[in-house]
Amino acid sequence: MPAILIADDEQHIRMLIEQTLESLEDEGVDILTAQNGEEALETIKEKRPELVFLDVMMPKMNGFDVCNTVKNTLGMKEVYIIMLTAKGQEFDKEKGAESGCDLYITKPFSPKELKSKAREILGL
Amino acid sequence: MAIFNLKKLLLKKDITKLIEGLTVSMGVDVCIKDSAGTMLYGTGGDYLSGLPITVDGKTVGWIYGENVSKIAAMASLLNYIVGAEVQKKALAAETLNKYSELTMLYDFVEKVNAFNVKEIAEFLIKHVSEQIRADNVSVMLTDEITGMLKLVAESGGESGNGGAQMSAFGIAGVVMHSGKAEIINDCRSDPRCAMETGSVSSLICSPIKAKEKALGIVMASTIEPFNYTADDLNFFCTLVSQAAFAMDNARLYESLKEAFIKTVYTLAETIEKRDPYTGGHTKRVKEYSVAISANLGISAGDKERLELAAVLHDIGKIGVSDNVLRKTAKLTDEEFEEIKTHTTCGRDILSYIEELKGIIPGVKSHHERFDGRGYPDKLKGLEIDLIARIIAVADTFDAMTSDRPYRKGLPFGTALQELRKCSGTQFDPTVVEAFFKAVDNNKINPENQEKIIRGDNNDACNSDSR
Repeated sequence: MPAILIADDEQHIRMLIEQTLESLEDEGVDILTAQNGEEALETIKEKRPELVFLDVMMPKMNGFDVCNTVKNTLGMKEVYIIMLTAKGQEFDKEKGAESGCDLYITKPFSPKELKSKAREILGL
Repeated sequence: MAIFNLKKLLLKKDITKLIEGLTVSMGVDVCIKDSAGTMLYGTGGDYLSGLPITVDGKTVGWIYGENVSKIAAMASLLNYIVGAEVQKKALAAETLNKYSELTMLYDFVEKVNAFNVKEIAEFLIKHVSEQIRADNVSVMLTDEITGMLKLVAESGGESGNGGAQMSAFGIAGVVMHSGKAEIINDCRSDPRCAMETGSVSSLICSPIKAKEKALGIVMASTIEPFNYTADDLNFFCTLVSQAAFAMDNARLYESLKEAFIKTVYTLAETIEKRDPYTGGHTKRVKEYSVAISANLGISAGDKERLELAAVLHDIGKIGVSDNVLRKTAKLTDEEFEEIKTHTTCGRDILSYIEELKGIIPGVKSHHERFDGRGYPDKLKGLEIDLIARIIAVADTFDAMTSDRPYRKGLPFGTALQELRKCSGTQFDPTVVEAFFKAVDNNKINPENQEKIIRGDNNDACNSDSR
């Protein structure tokens, strides 16, 4: 069963993304959530989701570090990682590239685009 | 709303733990099935006593146990949790809906100001169509001359066949007049919609108001009856009011720009009036320049600069004395030096106008030659601004083909040969090529002018253009 992880410390963002992707659950996609970087990393190791939405600014471990660990230390290159960054808070492209993230999306995000991106990555 | 998914709820860790804990502490054994009878929790003995789990009176599943009294408390708890979950979902869906609107509004506000009126109308239609159910979305604006509503842009097209004109008398006119947005969900029974074509059942219509003045209306409509809500109207009006500001700004900007361009043309006309023999020269240079540029693939911004520079290329002649400017006999070296100052003089004049600074290279360098033997700076090749290289060809060609009091203009074909001859020395060959392409496409043609060959000329390019 393909899985998507949503990692963001803000509850309402988790809820919004979950709601955005809700219809994918009917197609058999498992939707997981994490509230901080450490939890995100644990979930990725344990459940090996195909796609991860990873907030940059998170307590315990920031998004870049999580991504770096997953992609470089653990070598889990197959996990598609999309970083979430707040509008106005310029995304550090250099750090993004170093950490090996695949894409970044600015919040507020467009639910429509987010969903079609998720579908595309999962091949649905 | 989708049917409540009991299975998903029971897969949640805390819910499973809760049920497990309760069954142990209460000493009961239960199983839970969904409405189709599929086992979702527990191993399921042959329990006869079951209680339903319902959402809004609809059964979504059953809880079974040894006897009803033992499972009653658990059934109420499950019902409560399911109810809370349904409410949470509904809130999440509503929040997401608002969030979508908000992100769209962000996007809209951020981009809408960079457009002209028609583009704003199209942009508005695109965004309305994405968020609000509609088979047709039309924008109508008051025509400044006739005062009538005129269709500027629409989506869908279906109901727009002539309906646009008709509705100017129907609901669109009503909204335009009242200045108030309306929802009409049953057009067929509303007398104000009598003029609407038969294919409209429900509609939302809002005036486009900027500074208390209605510029026009926007209408979204459906073919089949649809129930537009106050929420739809709210969002619709928010988008429309943003578009209205942008349209008002665009109109102001456009009229400002028009006034500016008219001023520029007046300035150019003033110069031409001093030298009556060159009547229409400026206009032709502009036309030739534009025709050449069409084959060079220049940007819209450069094209705008080119037009202005072509119109103003001789503005510096205001500083040349009448006896030199109007002299019909051959100029002395000294007089020619004076003529040459019109390039730098043009630069000086334009440097006072911020909006025209960008065209200075085009004006100052239009007498530079590709081989570096021109004036005032003896620039060479690509050092010369592209706009100046284009104007040089257009200017010289017109000078060659125009009659002057002291000589007749060259015939079209001869002037073309001259251009070819001077390509690479006086002119940029790429620009000359572009000129010939324009001739081939009939964008530049000899019109009906009769030309007489001037026999003794063998370096027409130089002697004609001052």
